[in-house]
Amino acid sequence: MHDHGSHKEEEPKGIPRLALIGNPNVGKSVIFGYLTGKYVTVSNYPGTTVEITSARAHVNKKEYVVIDTPGVNSLLPMSEDERVTRDILLNEDIEAIIQGIDTKNLRRGLLITLQLAEIGIPFVIALNLFDEARSRGISVDAEKLSETIGTTAIPTVATLRKGMDQLLKALQNPRVSTFATHYDRRIEDGVVRITPLLPDARISKKSLALMLLAGDESLNNWLHEHLREQIIREIDNIRLEVQSSFSEPLAYVINHSRLMASDRLLKEVFSETGKREKDINSSLGRWSMHPVWGIPFLLAVLYGFYQFVGVFGAGTLVDFLEDSVFKGYVNPWAVKLFDYIPIMILRELFVGQYGIITMAITYAIAIVLPIVGTFFIAFGILEDSGYLPRLAVMVNNIFKAMGLNGKAVLPMVLGLGCDTMATLTARILETRKERIIVTLLLALGVPCSAQMGVVLGMLGGISFTATLVWLGVVVGVMLLVGYLASKVIPGTGSDFILELPPIRLPQLSNIGIKTMARIEWYLREAVPLFILGTLILFISDKLGLLALAEKIAAPLVVGFLGLPIKATEAFIIGFLRRDYGAAGLLVLARAGQLDSIQIVVSIVTITLFVPCIANFFMIIKEQGIKVALYITGFIFPFAFLVGGILNFVLRYYQVAL
Amino acid sequence: MSEHNIDELLELIWTQQEDGKDSLNELLRVTDEENAEDVLKRMAQDGFVVISGDKLTFTPTGEARAKEIIRRHRLAERLFTEAFKMEVDEKIEYNACEFEHILSPEVTESVCTFLGHPPTCPHGRPIPRGKCCEKFHKEMKPLVTPLNELQPGEEGRIVFIAPKNHTRLDRLSTMGIIPGSIVRLHQKRPSFVLEVGETTLALDGEIVKEIYVKRV
Ligand SMILES: Nc1nc2c(ncn2[C@@H]2O[C@H](COP(=O)(O)OP(=O)(O)OP(=O)(O)O)[C@@H](O)[C@H]2O)c(=O)[nH]1
Ligand SMILES: [Zn+2]
Repeated sequence: MHDHGSHKEEEPKGIPRLALIGNPNVGKSVIFGYLTGKYVTVSNYPGTTVEITSARAHVNKKEYVVIDTPGVNSLLPMSEDERVTRDILLNEDIEAIIQGIDTKNLRRGLLITLQLAEIGIPFVIALNLFDEARSRGISVDAEKLSETIGTTAIPTVATLRKGMDQLLKALQNPRVSTFATHYDRRIEDGVVRITPLLPDARISKKSLALMLLAGDESLNNWLHEHLREQIIREIDNIRLEVQSSFSEPLAYVINHSRLMASDRLLKEVFSETGKREKDINSSLGRWSMHPVWGIPFLLAVLYGFYQFVGVFGAGTLVDFLEDSVFKGYVNPWAVKLFDYIPIMILRELFVGQYGIITMAITYAIAIVLPIVGTFFIAFGILEDSGYLPRLAVMVNNIFKAMGLNGKAVLPMVLGLGCDTMATLTARILETRKERIIVTLLLALGVPCSAQMGVVLGMLGGISFTATLVWLGVVVGVMLLVGYLASKVIPGTGSDFILELPPIRLPQLSNIGIKTMARIEWYLREAVPLFILGTLILFISDKLGLLALAEKIAAPLVVGFLGLPIKATEAFIIGFLRRDYGAAGLLVLARAGQLDSIQIVVSIVTITLFVPCIANFFMIIKEQGIKVALYITGFIFPFAFLVGGILNFVLRYYQVAL
Repeated sequence: MSEHNIDELLELIWTQQEDGKDSLNELLRVTDEENAEDVLKRMAQDGFVVISGDKLTFTPTGEARAKEIIRRHRLAERLFTEAFKMEVDEKIEYNACEFEHILSPEVTESVCTFLGHPPTCPHGRPIPRGKCCEKFHKEMKPLVTPLNELQPGEEGRIVFIAPKNHTRLDRLSTMGIIPGSIVRLHQKRPSFVLEVGETTLALDGEIVKEIYVKRV
């Protein structure tokens, strides 16, 4: 969810670069962590890494910049994240590559090996997840493989750091693979005709020519930067000519030859002894996407989540921290401390009604932190188990109605952790239309962990019916908006083709590190905004602006939504972070200032409320300012509209909650 | 006057008979053939039909030939709608008419087998049975079936893939799904799940339908 290592600043030139490349979910990020000592999110689903992460590290006593890349199934990119990886090879000076391969899926790994061989950059292979291959009765002859392809392949178990020493040793002198794939004569002819037209590049001309023959449109910009218009046209003509002698698309013909070549390699080095250990994990995997049992399975997962985050985190822990720790000790101490400081305004700034300690810090640490903390633990377990992609199998049909496919469940569920990072993960979707719809839905209705925790805490205090009303309205609104958006937004959806990783027992150490990293991120990102929000309230209050805002908002908040005027504050700080707004509502509710209907109406409105500042900037970065403004411009009035209608309906029918 | 006109009329007479009609005048009324009367006379001479008064009947030779044409025509329609996903409309009609003249007996048999020996055309009219269909009754299983027709747990070797768009083919191939690969159908609902080697893939039913396999 959050890429902790993603430092955008340029690493200095001149330091040699080492890139980790391979299929999705093969353990690249684990190896990256081993090499650099830096943690990047490791989870058990394809598409965890969607951005480049780099870090400096000493490998074999030599300084390198190590680069972790998004997983790819081919160096011909099919989606945004795959393109990022190919572009690294094209634009960065890579001294050597470590190719991560999932040993049991050697066939697909070799497909990339052959392309790396073609590209002509030296590389070594980590035959990772060797343990998993062994337990499935698979063995791979690493020595023979190394011999045949002319580079070094080392069996590894990255999570246990097995084989890492040999991998480092192999990196001391990485070799360019000598293996050449043979293509159909017509393709080879095309390559021979294109290569003389190409400029020198970081990758071999042959590999570039093959990418061009395959019709890789993502190379367009690069081509126009490096070649004259006329030559580009010439290349295109050659491609069309070659294509005309095949009935299948060239990209496929080329892939086919590569697969045939890897099948031949496979025959020599890959063997199945047939003895598969039967394990509970694969049965769990089957139940979790069974047409019938899949649903109770999902409900059980949700129930477990609710118990841990909603009841334990938002209930027990918050009670303890807020009532005992903050109300009992921290705040009284702070107040006492300020008794010694006779400056009234400072006192109010820190411990007053809109005080940094009594409001911002209390909200951030006592209310939101325990909730996000428990959420991150539970969520980490889910991520590492491999359940999330199976959820996509269950909901694919529903998502189809919204112009999406099951794959979109990954960013949507990640949104429950943090909408901002989930907006980035939308990159794993193939078409722009899908990315925009997911971005819209995330901004509209997916509550992030903090907000959901607060909301569950409030709902838990009323009744189960109230929870259902909230869930029903939010999900219903998202389905409706998604459906309409799929009709309005131009473009197409894409095919649902998703790899399901094996169900794995989550590792305690990874969950621990991941949770700590995420909490650290939460504190760093959220607390300053909480303080900023409080400052805004404080200053507005002093200048009388708050009263003015409340007066202006009164017809909307009091008249239309039927809420007390105090709730205006929650919406104002909700502009900064929705969870902060929700926390404000929670405090109102705890003080007994909201009845059941008001609670439900207010949390439905805040759930659908505008995306938080950080998310807003992420939308600008990923989709452009226009899309960001459209999305926010739609959501703001829409959230109030839904809240108002709900208020009207609940009161008109006098629903008992 | 050509073979073509004769075939067209044989076809028409066959459909009329299916509807229980055998009137010569009725036939002349519905046909679009320019000089149908002359063609019919010629057909009578060649021993395809017998005309007595207003009554028009096939000779055994005529019936056999009509049956072949009808079979090719309706199989072609099936092929267009099933394999190429075309709508049932005039275009199909036109294409099927073209096809029925060029399909050789061997190709007809393979088309029929490929389609799993369909009993009716897209309009619901029966497709006359051919030799291959008899064999079918013994073997019970067509050679090639769309992957979605396997039962969960069954395996098949991919024979060919007929995708609607090209990127689909590329994408499948990078996942190791190409002709020759062996796939196991794990489940059909709520979404299709396949196993190829050690890779488990979830995908749309629509794509699965385009993958044709031979059971192994
Ligand atoms: N059993 C076992 N599990 C491993 C091994 N290496 C990695 N894993 C697990 O495999 C999963 C994927 O690891 P990542 O490092 O996130 O994989 P990645 O290649 O970076 O994945 P993407 O970023 O999605 O491309 C995690 O659940 C790891 O704990 C290994 O050698 N053995
Ligand atoms: Zn038949």
